[in-house]
Amino acid sequence: MPGMNSGINIDDPTVTAAFRAALVHQGLIALAIVVLIALVWTASKAWLPPRVQAAAAGHGPALAWSAEPAGRRLLRIGFGLLWVFDGILQAQPAMAAGLPSQVIQPTAASSPGWVQHLVNWGGTTWSYHPIQAGAAAVWIQVGIGIWLLVAPHGLWSRAGGLVSASWGLVVWVFGESFGSIFAPGLSWLFGAPGAVLFYCMAGVLVALPLAAWSTPRLGRGVLAVMGVFFLGMAVLQAWPGRGFWQGTSGHQPGSLAAMTQSMAQTNQPSAVAGWVNAFTAFDEAHGFAVNLFVVIALAAAGLAMVTAWRRVLFPAVAATVVLCLATWVLVQDFGFFGGLGTDPNSMIPMALVIVGGYLALTRVPMAAAEEAPEPAHDGDPAAAEEPADATEPAVPAPASGWRTRLRPAALCQSFATATVSSVASVGALAIVILGAAPMAAAQANPSASTILAQSLVGSVAPMDYPAKGFQLTNQDGRTVTSATLRGKVVLLTFLDPVCTSDCPLIAQEFRAAGQLLGPSSSRVELVAIAANPVFYQRVYTEAFTRQEGLAQVPNWQFLTGSVAALRQVWSDYGIDAEVEPGGSMIGHTEVAYVIDASGNVREEFSDDPGPGTTATQASYASMLADAARQYLGAS
Amino acid sequence: MKRRGLAASVILVVAALAACGTQQSHGTVAAAAAPPPSLALSLDSAAGTWATVQMGGSAADYNNFWQLFVRPAGASGADSWRLVTPPGMADNGGLLLASTGGRSLVTGFRPSQLITFSPLISTSDNGAHWATGSAAGGLSDVPDALAAAPGSGDLIALVPGAIELSRTGGSAWTTVARAQSVADSAAGRVCGLSGLTAVAFSPAGIPTVAGACTKPGTAGIFALDAGQWQAAGPALPASLAGQPVTVLRLTTSGGRQLALLSAGAGSAATVVAAWTAIGSGRWQLSPGLRTGGKQVLSASFGPGGAAGLVLSGGHGEVLADPGSTWRQLPALPSGSQVLVIGAGGQVEALASHGSVLTVWATGPASSGWAREQAINVPIQYGSSS
Repeated sequence: MPGMNSGINIDDPTVTAAFRAALVHQGLIALAIVVLIALVWTASKAWLPPRVQAAAAGHGPALAWSAEPAGRRLLRIGFGLLWVFDGILQAQPAMAAGLPSQVIQPTAASSPGWVQHLVNWGGTTWSYHPIQAGAAAVWIQVGIGIWLLVAPHGLWSRAGGLVSASWGLVVWVFGESFGSIFAPGLSWLFGAPGAVLFYCMAGVLVALPLAAWSTPRLGRGVLAVMGVFFLGMAVLQAWPGRGFWQGTSGHQPGSLAAMTQSMAQTNQPSAVAGWVNAFTAFDEAHGFAVNLFVVIALAAAGLAMVTAWRRVLFPAVAATVVLCLATWVLVQDFGFFGGLGTDPNSMIPMALVIVGGYLALTRVPMAAAEEAPEPAHDGDPAAAEEPADATEPAVPAPASGWRTRLRPAALCQSFATATVSSVASVGALAIVILGAAPMAAAQANPSASTILAQSLVGSVAPMDYPAKGFQLTNQDGRTVTSATLRGKVVLLTFLDPVCTSDCPLIAQEFRAAGQLLGPSSSRVELVAIAANPVFYQRVYTEAFTRQEGLAQVPNWQFLTGSVAALRQVWSDYGIDAEVEPGGSMIGHTEVAYVIDASGNVREEFSDDPGPGTTATQASYASMLADAARQYLGAS
Repeated sequence: MKRRGLAASVILVVAALAACGTQQSHGTVAAAAAPPPSLALSLDSAAGTWATVQMGGSAADYNNFWQLFVRPAGASGADSWRLVTPPGMADNGGLLLASTGGRSLVTGFRPSQLITFSPLISTSDNGAHWATGSAAGGLSDVPDALAAAPGSGDLIALVPGAIELSRTGGSAWTTVARAQSVADSAAGRVCGLSGLTAVAFSPAGIPTVAGACTKPGTAGIFALDAGQWQAAGPALPASLAGQPVTVLRLTTSGGRQLALLSAGAGSAATVVAAWTAIGSGRWQLSPGLRTGGKQVLSASFGPGGAAGLVLSGGHGEVLADPGSTWRQLPALPSGSQVLVIGAGGQVEALASHGSVLTVWATGPASSGWAREQAINVPIQYGSSS
């Protein structure tokens, strides 16, 4: 999948250090924002009239807590904790460079082409801006988690659910390739239909008005959906020819044993690996019985949930939760061990949704039968914080009309009278925005982050010395000298015109750098000098130029000359161009110089394109363009 | 009613998931034209015998490196073969050889990885020195994608979808014809031309192309006569009349054209060699060789129109001359890629293992192979990746 892979080592120290620095930096900003909000909130309370202060003091989380339906509370807190945990997993040092190649790409590999195409777009976006994307994933997920945890009621809480569902959908599509539902080998045991789909489901449930939780209908609906899903998964699990009925097949482990075997080999505590290995051995010996048990269990759980027959529902839900936990430990290996785990897989969120649905069916809160008095606080999340309740103190409602409520004084009063949970929700939203904003800004920028190129090139020392002169011929037969290039910034490199791998990539990086420079590129020359003492004639520089689509690039110059002239230039610029035996290409130094308009060499860096992925190429082009811009400004 | 709806939705969901989760089975594809032999071959010329062999490691990792060897005319003994691989470019895509009929050899580098054109390099002193300065479009992956007109220095090249001609020794090229226009010609339609497999000059210097015919019993060889493509292949015997024919090789040597045809497919495939008589365009055919489902891996022509085939499974077959019959060789040494047919029924097999080329020899009465020479090639593993 082109573009998916940043191409560099996932533990690359340059990238991991930058990622760590970005997280710390953004963490400090998040902390500052939260403290600032808390200070402003505390201070604004002091300015309130005493009557309003007294009324506001009557608001408290205990009231909101008691009024929240049990099922909703379970989903909100459960998924809040899961999001925070997922966010922490996203902060693993290798995540910035590794997520596209280690998580997204393998997940999408067995999906149809259109899924891969779509997911590739997301993976490429991440690869182009690994630091911003990695940090965004951390703060968005931590922010959503905190939001769900601190907002038990009202529009802030519902908005948190909606944001959770929306972000979950993004993760499900791009991170989980639609939960691999379009790929072969789909199985409930392996995490179908994707863990994050349950996050989405829970988010939608949390986002529903409280009135929806006031009847058993919601719980029945949730259980019916889960029941249909379980029945479907039972049939799929029983489907012949998918390798689940065999513990082994032709001395090879069956589908389930092969999966658990590979899971146990990942880096994890030995005790955990021991459990998974023991299950693998058991499944290899009793594959048919294991699958029969799973099929029957799924079908029974599905039937119980679909029928919602009260006498069997509790034991069925309890047994399903136990089955989920057992599968989580023995098959999914906790979901996050080894490699770059991004979440604890599907069993915990699935169990939460089932229990949440069960509670919504069996423990309908009478107090929550009515939604908050929204007309009084319409459009004002902070004001609409609490449900209508006989014990609710009379907070003076701001005057109606949005214009009135948007006046500074009204806003101040709304903020000052907001509850702790509302203010905490604002802080959580700020954390989400803090993560999303840099990524959005990076995405809007057509150039890739230079961090990948920096990791390949290493540190670049500034320099300032006159560039050596030359007189050569370009691909069109025109003579070009160092003097004729004076007055323009020159990006200079040395390319083998019959090179099969790196040189075409470097040429494309130069071309992309010129495009990034926009109108300024007319003041920049993209110059390559032939670095092959055998195939050096103009026929090759011309063919190379055509091959790379550079014939129409007005500032592209591929220069050559006699071997003697070339050798002099190579010597002046420290280029080795050695003829290698045995059918190999020329071995030559891969270096780029930035020469300012006065003809002084200002930077020198390796232009080895490394793995030559679209991400590294784009990153390299950004670095070249940045360097040119720097000296354009100075000229 | 609700329950029935529920059941229906379960069935629908499961059917959809099962459809997603089940591997598709595909029907059998109709028998395709015989695959072309590899670029590994030997070439007899006035300067000596050339041979190109793929060596090194995996082609998928670009660790395969093609090597060119020469045995100068008159050389014999343990050190008769020399490594003369042209320098200056990675040759993972393969080397194509074209003899000008004299002592010169033009070599084309097939495209590989990111390069899309084919630099040319030539020698007139058995590879001691090489001259550059010309290039062709990206040469096709068939052994006869590049040919030189004896004496004139004209070159003809087969590139994807077109035939190109250079009257300037490779510095400038013109497109002679698109492959489709050959297929659309009257002769092409009779043949049902499905693809081109070779280009050559006739002994008279006329551009000639060959390909795979879908219509049975037709040998797809066409000569450019007064701007029109005319059928120029041999008439096939009745035994091959019902079979689609692919031209595996077409070349010119010693004043005659030589071709290797494959008729039919699979276990029924038959290989036939064909020669034009010196001084005329009349074709002579060899007896058919039933390959028994074995694939022709390499096909080379030797002096006097001799032909040698390396077949899959370590089998080798040779034809000493146009009047003779196929002779099965002793089981080929492991790694054999190319047969070189010498005088008096001597045959050499060039076998490679990693970076070592071993030359094996057998005589007409021998039942085995004798090791003649081993050459260590300084392969730079990893240099192309």
